Amino acid sequence: MTATVTRVVVVGGGAVAWIAAAGLRRAFRKRGVDVLVVDTGMPADAPVARWTLPSQRAMHGLLGIPEPELLRRTGATFKLATEHVGWQGEGSHFFHAHGDIGTDLAGTPFYKFLVQQALNGQPESPENYSLAAVAARLGRFARPMGDEKALTSSFTYGFHLDEAAYVSSLAAHAAQLGVRRVTAPLVAVSRLPGGEVESLQLANGESVAGELFLDCSGAESLLMKQLGEEERDDWSAWLPCDRMISARAPAIPQLPPFTRTVAADAGWCWRLPLARTSAAGYVYSSAFASDDTALRHLQSAVPGLEAPGRVVLLASGRRRRFWEKNCIALGAAAMQLEPLAGAELHFAQLGLGTLIELFPLDVSGAIEGAEFNRVMAEHADSLRDFTIAHYRVGRARPGDFWTAARAAPPPQRLADRLDLYQASGRINLHDFETFEEVDWAWLLLGAGVIPAALELQIRARVENVTPQQVAPLRAHIDGLAASMPRHSEYVQRSNA
Amino acid sequence: MRPQPLKIVIVGGGTAGWMTAAAFAAVLPAQQRDIRLIESSEIGIVGVGEATLPHIRFFNRRIGIDEPELMAHTQATFKLGIEFVNWARVGDSYIHPFGAYGSKMAGVPFHHYWLRARGEGSDASIEDYSLPIVASRLNRFALPSDDPTSVMSTFGYAFQFDASLYAKYLRGFAEQRGVQRTDAKIVDVTLRAADGGVESVKLDNGEVVDGHLFIDCSGFRGLLIEQALKTGYDEWTRWLPCDRAMAVPCENSGPLTPYTRATAREAGWQWRIPLQHRMGNGYVYSSNFISDDEAAAKLLSRLDGKPLADPRPLRFTAGRRRKTWNRNVVAIGLAGGFLEPLESTSIYLIQIAITTLLDYLTGNEGATGQFDPRIVEAYNRWIEMEYDRVRDFLILHYHATERDDAEIWNYCRTMDVPDSLKHKMELFRRRARVVTYKDGLFLEPSWLAVYFGQRVMPTAWDPLADAMDAAEMQRQLQSVREQVQSTAVRMSTHEEFLAKYCPATPPSMGARA
Repeated sequence: MTATVTRVVVVGGGAVAWIAAAGLRRAFRKRGVDVLVVDTGMPADAPVARWTLPSQRAMHGLLGIPEPELLRRTGATFKLATEHVGWQGEGSHFFHAHGDIGTDLAGTPFYKFLVQQALNGQPESPENYSLAAVAARLGRFARPMGDEKALTSSFTYGFHLDEAAYVSSLAAHAAQLGVRRVTAPLVAVSRLPGGEVESLQLANGESVAGELFLDCSGAESLLMKQLGEEERDDWSAWLPCDRMISARAPAIPQLPPFTRTVAADAGWCWRLPLARTSAAGYVYSSAFASDDTALRHLQSAVPGLEAPGRVVLLASGRRRRFWEKNCIALGAAAMQLEPLAGAELHFAQLGLGTLIELFPLDVSGAIEGAEFNRVMAEHADSLRDFTIAHYRVGRARPGDFWTAARAAPPPQRLADRLDLYQASGRINLHDFETFEEVDWAWLLLGAGVIPAALELQIRARVENVTPQQVAPLRAHIDGLAASMPRHSEYVQRSNA
Repeated sequence: MRPQPLKIVIVGGGTAGWMTAAAFAAVLPAQQRDIRLIESSEIGIVGVGEATLPHIRFFNRRIGIDEPELMAHTQATFKLGIEFVNWARVGDSYIHPFGAYGSKMAGVPFHHYWLRARGEGSDASIEDYSLPIVASRLNRFALPSDDPTSVMSTFGYAFQFDASLYAKYLRGFAEQRGVQRTDAKIVDVTLRAADGGVESVKLDNGEVVDGHLFIDCSGFRGLLIEQALKTGYDEWTRWLPCDRAMAVPCENSGPLTPYTRATAREAGWQWRIPLQHRMGNGYVYSSNFISDDEAAAKLLSRLDGKPLADPRPLRFTAGRRRKTWNRNVVAIGLAGGFLEPLESTSIYLIQIAITTLLDYLTGNEGATGQFDPRIVEAYNRWIEMEYDRVRDFLILHYHATERDDAEIWNYCRTMDVPDSLKHKMELFRRRARVVTYKDGLFLEPSWLAVYFGQRVMPTAWDPLADAMDAAEMQRQLQSVREQVQSTAVRMSTHEEFLAKYCPATPPSMGARA
């Protein structure tokens, strides 16, 4: 098999499908690559709304989607942070902001100073030193600006998106790029003697041929499951939530520019603002709450909640091989992970970017597949670890669910990372990490994890810094945050 | 509670020992450390690593070493890369440069366009797009620029120096900063009852020296890490069969090259390292394929100038200590592992062990006498990764050959290589993609140099490189070539530059003959 890849068939109808289709079309249009989406509808596991990482901005750039237009069309809002409430017990809360903590002190990350302060018995929240977090708390927003060293560019932002509006906007954009679409359920696949997929048989009687097939159909993995038994890594011992519900709710006054998660008896609830409405959900474990109990809990937490869609089943884990023969799983077809870190579309984007870099020269693509699988497994496991860490850092929230979430020893690479931090305040990152040192610092300091000691050389640089010396930074941040427009006004203006 | 000073005992005073002493003395505040170095003037040092990598400049900066002064004291020359001769075929030559080939175009790495142009008939060599290579071939040198828009920022440099003078220079630096040197042999090691770590070492003058942290820089034998702690060693001879070397200095002749040369030979390879006052040479070989006498004779017959000493034999086993940090002993240098100096990594591996150790210490160790096992394990994982990545890269040099004129090349050409390397080579052959990583040595340009230089030619390139208009691509390629060429010829010769920047005093009694 040495046929060149000229026809790519994408199975699915949600955000991941349209992003992948538009991305491949845009990258290889000049090469004459034709992209067809077999629209199997919105994946069953799609939420009513989602929050994204700042990398979605780059994704829009890559696809050529103008951000102001997108916001106008979809009623999206901006996201400066996630607030995690109750994860270390009642009354606990912290922000994980999309931005720097302070400014470097003599080449040393500012959070090390906060660790030293905590070791001195004077713990202080990183939020006070982050423009993004202070602005989030005040309900204010402006896009970053100025030169890269300025405080005004010390942060970035993600989005809160209404899923249906976002998907139809992506689909329209893909169509403009020349992505074709056929809407029909997938019935069967025809395979070549080597096992590669040759064509898809659809319920409308059509047969769709191609050289490369992407499964972007969500957790159901409509295409990959046709290829036979999948080998999976099961993560449920660390991530016991196996159900999700979500629904629209009335708009939140003043539009807080952040997502909120709230620890509950059997998992955690989330709430995010949209321009004219809002959304909420509950991610929970069926071992600790029935679907009815979960629904009642969410309803009582969110007054005016609309009727949720059906319960989504979540099987935390990932495929061992994302790329098999000439089929590639992207998004939830590749990995199922609760949306705590807001990285679902980011993961799809990583898959798309890696696929563009490894776009198979012909149908065989075995070595490209091996490399794709190696790289994406690393990405997936990094996202897994960051998500699991939320359950395991700081004081344990009381309750059976929370005890169960910490019962199994963590994955080795996460254990290694947390151990090293606890011993020395050091955060080591490896290849293929989505979350950077500062993100881990937000999580660890936010959860109140104080290491036993700080690296000697780092300590020498921060131990003589006094709170008085950094007070002007706090004042500067407070002043800047107060001068930003209200998020609600900013969004209104964007939507005007 | 103020932490107690950390008592550090360094065993051995070669390159590794004095680099460690100098760095610890420079970086740790004086009240927080008490550093002792024990070496015997009766035991010779291996004096490994006369050629370095650009990373040494970070080390120098971190500990506050003045570069021109260091160079003048060590008879140093500049190094822009390594020339590899006869590796894929007899007669081949390529330079592994300290710098990039061109720069990304439309987000796609440069070499894909070079391959495409080649496919469309261009005969320009990849070397024409590298300033450090073109400058090397012309024996020219200039310091790079910080301006990222300038072609002068596309390269780095390292040094070639006399390792025994380097150790001597660092000794002065360390002693000025309070390191206490003792000239003695170690005759006994006492282990701690509690955890089996080292309690103290006994010297031949009767003194017993105790400490919190022992740094084993005793060379191959690993006096503490192996002889006392029995840590174990992973051997890599099946991939890196060379186990001996013969070293000999000779007189300089001809222009001073700003690069090291590694020439593949009948049973290994020969190094050639130009210094201001002499040339360092050596033959690294496998005792399976040549005798010591024959290796010495071959080496002596292939020198640029008159030999200045008798050939000195060395023995080693390629590999790594299972744990380079075991209890309270950290093995640095040859005590930690050995990888032949084919890519001048010896000093890099010493440096990375020192700086990583310094990064990981918390300063509480002095008070408790204990090292947090979580830190020890993290350190060992990091050092392992560094060694393993260098290992794969070295194996590539031996494996990617078409030579069938000697047993060693037949063996290496057909040997089974680690899966990680197999995968990297296959991906490169298929589509010119280099597997890269964030940490560790040897980034994309290094892999490209060896792949292209050793005839691992891809059958295709990144399809994204096809998007650019052919004429536009030719224009951009030509512009890079012209810029490289015109910049290189404007540089002064390596010798002129050295004479201005760091003239060394003529060799004194202190310099190894």
